[in-house]
Amino acid sequence: MRNLSLLKQEFLRKWIKDLKKYNSQKKNMNLFERKKAIKLSADLAMASTSKDKTTLWRKALIANTSTSIDEQDISTTSSSHKKVIRKNSTNSYSLYRKRKIGRRKINRAKERVEASFIATRLVKKRTRRLKSLLPGGKFMDDACLVDETLDYIESLKAQVEVMRCLVTASELFINPP
Amino acid sequence: MLHCLNTSGNLVGGIISDMTVLERQRARKKFQHEHEQDQQFFMVGCDSALGEVVANSMKPGDLGFENVEETVKKRKADHKVDMKSKDKRIKVSVEEGESKITEQIKGNKNTKLKNRENCDDVGSKENSKGSEIQNHKPDYIHVRARRGQATDSHSLAERVRREKISERMKYLQDLVPGCNKIAGKAGMLDEIINYVQSLQRQVEFLSMKLAAVNPRLDFNIDELFAKEVFTQNFQMMQSEMSNPAYLQFNSAQQQVSCCGGLINNMGILPPEIGVRRNINAPASASLPEIFLDPSCFTHILPSSTWEGDFQNLHSVDFDQGRSTSFPSQPFTGMIEASNLKMEM
Repeated sequence: MRNLSLLKQEFLRKWIKDLKKYNSQKKNMNLFERKKAIKLSADLAMASTSKDKTTLWRKALIANTSTSIDEQDISTTSSSHKKVIRKNSTNSYSLYRKRKIGRRKINRAKERVEASFIATRLVKKRTRRLKSLLPGGKFMDDACLVDETLDYIESLKAQVEVMRCLVTASELFINPP
Repeated sequence: MLHCLNTSGNLVGGIISDMTVLERQRARKKFQHEHEQDQQFFMVGCDSALGEVVANSMKPGDLGFENVEETVKKRKADHKVDMKSKDKRIKVSVEEGESKITEQIKGNKNTKLKNRENCDDVGSKENSKGSEIQNHKPDYIHVRARRGQATDSHSLAERVRREKISERMKYLQDLVPGCNKIAGKAGMLDEIINYVQSLQRQVEFLSMKLAAVNPRLDFNIDELFAKEVFTQNFQMMQSEMSNPAYLQFNSAQQQVSCCGGLINNMGILPPEIGVRRNINAPASASLPEIFLDPSCFTHILPSSTWEGDFQNLHSVDFDQGRSTSFPSQPFTGMIEASNLKMEM
């Protein structure tokens, strides 16, 4: 718990520093640019906020942000591309499953084998999805994926909390109660 | 250990040395002593082992069918206990949900015995066959106990890896809300994915909101936090008072402890952020009155409001008994640092 608050402190400090740096480069941004700037700086700050920076997702996040600062449009297109791919995969999977169900009635002996097969398949599919969610997930194996997820969730939580604090603060500043 | 080795030998290659036979005979004696007490337990072990044997070595088909029949007869004659145990075995296996294996056992009883003998050295048939079959039972207990734990290094490593993963999954379960009730791995992963996605979306949303709220993106963070202290943080403090990390009234930060506690709450270390604030804290009463230099904050609120709110906060502090480090005599803390203006 103490660690978490320290983490938040460090994160906020870095974030504000990053924001300053980023904003000194560019003035008069529109809403989306501003949003992107805020998000990128927050991500960067989160990635660099830790004692051990050995975790893969941090490295990947830093790499991603540094590239996306240069070419922001490409990142958006690639993300939409990803979504399309995901949709396709789910469709093919449901088809596959239907076929499975049809076959199941025919052969009961195979059923158990297939059940376990489906179970492992489900787990595999979800693992793949989780990998796609984490930054740098492609380079993780199963064992380190869980570790990374733990770490990532923890820092995401901290990030969300700090951001929420800042949002409420600035809202209150603009419209006092 | 030898038992274990024997079993693995049985399962993997079906190679058995003379030593194994000796070992079995010895084990048999032991087993007969303990047979009455531990019967059921042995059956459990034996059962799955038999199933495994059947599954593993179904190939050797037609050898010594009559022999097998004899064996069965002999066994029945030898021990009534065996009869009992057979029934029990089937029952137990059903209970264990290994119905697959049970079916095989029922159907292929003969084959099973055959396999056993195929696996064994042919010479060992001289030993009474019923006893031989019994002798297998203590061997296979170990298999049951170490079922996942095959003896080769690869499977051992795999096992360790799996254990590690499941342990981490438990941590994740604790971390992700609503994940405790889900048993399956797939469901858990689903929940985790949803949680991560929601967090990512929240970050997205919050950054959007921040961008929208600050049209010029030129806000003074000092003011922000000073302001926020009043309302939002006030509730937050009360809710998070139980966490000592949020209120670090340690000696190093004593000068700023009045504001420091509040700002710590937000997660900022005051000296490092560089709060430009002139604090004059005469602790004349039990609740120290804080006078904040109004020159910094004239544009926000009159200082009287500040005082009132700080008093409120301090009263909370005292209720919780955390602000013991407040100085008992008046002091003037002056923290001078770079003006923290957040220009965006």
